[in-house]
Amino acid sequence: MTGRAEVSYVWLLAGLTGLVMAAFALSLSVGPAPVGLGTLLSAGDGRLGETATIIFFEIRLPRALLGLAIGASLGLAGAALQGLLRNPLAEPGIIGISGCAALGAVAVFYSGLAVTTPLALPLGGLAGALVAVLLLYGLAGRDTGVTTLILAGIALSALAGALTALALSLSPNPFALTEIVFWLLGSLADRSMAHVALALPFILAGCALLFAAARGLDGLSLGEETARSLGIGIGRLGLLVVLGTALAVGASVAVSGAIGFVGLVVPHLVRPLVGHRPARLLLPSALGGGALLLFADSLVRLIGSGQELKLGVVTALLGAPFFLALILSYRRRVQ
Amino acid sequence: MADGARLRLGLAAALWLATSPSLAAERVVSLNLCTDQLLVLLADPRQIVSVSFLAADPDLSYVADRIDGIPLNHGALEEILPLDPDLVLAGAFAARPAVRLLQSQDIPVIDLPLANDFAAITEQTRVVAAAIGQEERGEELVAEMAAILADAPAVDPGRTALAYQANGFTAGSDTLTDAVLTAAGYRNAAAEAGLVGYGFLPLEHLVAQPPDVLIAPETLPGRPSLAEALLVHPALTALGDRVDRLQIPSALLACGGPFTAQAVAALVAVEP
Repeated sequence: MTGRAEVSYVWLLAGLTGLVMAAFALSLSVGPAPVGLGTLLSAGDGRLGETATIIFFEIRLPRALLGLAIGASLGLAGAALQGLLRNPLAEPGIIGISGCAALGAVAVFYSGLAVTTPLALPLGGLAGALVAVLLLYGLAGRDTGVTTLILAGIALSALAGALTALALSLSPNPFALTEIVFWLLGSLADRSMAHVALALPFILAGCALLFAAARGLDGLSLGEETARSLGIGIGRLGLLVVLGTALAVGASVAVSGAIGFVGLVVPHLVRPLVGHRPARLLLPSALGGGALLLFADSLVRLIGSGQELKLGVVTALLGAPFFLALILSYRRRVQ
Repeated sequence: MADGARLRLGLAAALWLATSPSLAAERVVSLNLCTDQLLVLLADPRQIVSVSFLAADPDLSYVADRIDGIPLNHGALEEILPLDPDLVLAGAFAARPAVRLLQSQDIPVIDLPLANDFAAITEQTRVVAAAIGQEERGEELVAEMAAILADAPAVDPGRTALAYQANGFTAGSDTLTDAVLTAAGYRNAAAEAGLVGYGFLPLEHLVAQPPDVLIAPETLPGRPSLAEALLVHPALTALGDRVDRLQIPSALLACGGPFTAQAVAALVAVEP
């Protein structure tokens, strides 16, 4: 029985990896200029034109890398938070972590600090996310029921959104206030390798911490008492997930804005396929999140012209109905 | 068409004013950035009663350093009536309700559309000059402008230029910027890409077909924005020597005026 489950788990991971690779290739191939993965492969022996090289390595590649890393962060953080808080609706966007990360990044970027000290940008996002996770963990903590956490998250989101608007209004730059759309809905348009270099180390460190929480989350799913008897330190587990989420989501939001619903949709789609052990949910959620965001980001480039659609619009169009369906099914189960 | 008709009407009114010298306006109020600049350039300081608040912004106004002491208005009727103007200059988009009410009070209003080429700039300079009895000054400015334009080379079909602003905002055909690029001997890369009027051009498009001259700021302001961060994207820097990068003060292109010819001169000065 276990053997068969293991085999199907391996197949699931293989399938998701294939999906990620296809989405990555698609993301590299979509854009206003007629340059794609095909151009790169057919050019062969290093004779790719100078223009195509710039488009490929300075515009398309950073975008695809960020799509993969940020999607994976959001999927993984969603799965880990749902495990830690034992709450199916925990998601970085819904409970206000992304909003607070955006606030931190906004404060650093529009003050001009990020121009002189680039590293301040991911650190600002990280600080915002960390404050949010600590507040939520302290406020709504473990085992307080689904609604307390969601309500605390709504309050935190509203506060972060208002403070972000305030910070942008205070900027003397005439473009600043219109850019609230970027921070609230997220986008990967015109990101560069500089953003990859800034965000990726933090994202990788955050994901590593979240994966390290896998065994603890499994134990916790059996109840706190049982987890303790298995020798799992609940405090240490909480710290791993809190820090991991702050690092991965904070750095992601600092370069892409707050992209919602990825961390909600992906773990819920994957959960029926892997059973209810949180540890087995983590890797498929990360892969699924990467694939989803890469596909969504290719879609925004395919539809519309002029200024492209914000990425968060697509993820919300997919995610919000999903969220409603989830609430309905949850209510039915409770009744 | 409507613009042309309105301009002819303005011209007729101005000619009527000009043919009766005693009626040259003595108390002129301008409600629009573009007419502000024409007024300041043409009028005797004692004729200027008020200009719009935008005239004081050095990023938008060529005459920003010359309006010290002139009362500024925001296009509200309550501000304008107490000034007791005998002529009001307005732009096609400015203060429509105020303009209608002024006309109902029998205060003469000259309503100028946006000038999108040098012929329109010449015409509007003459209209305002005639209305305020400063024809001589008007002809001087028109002649200075014509001299700069006459020195510019004919369009070289092999040379393209592109004005690229925050967010990838650019000017296609039928725009003042297009007229400036053409007058300086360049083809407008945004117009070639099919853009009519103002719009956005993706960064990838710019990199795929880089212009010979790129008119864009090269540094971020102290309090930056994402919109301007696009202009320092590594993909643009990577174009290197293939593109001559040039900054033209935004005030020269914000409105069509005799000073717009200086933007042409700046472009002509770029060595191919």
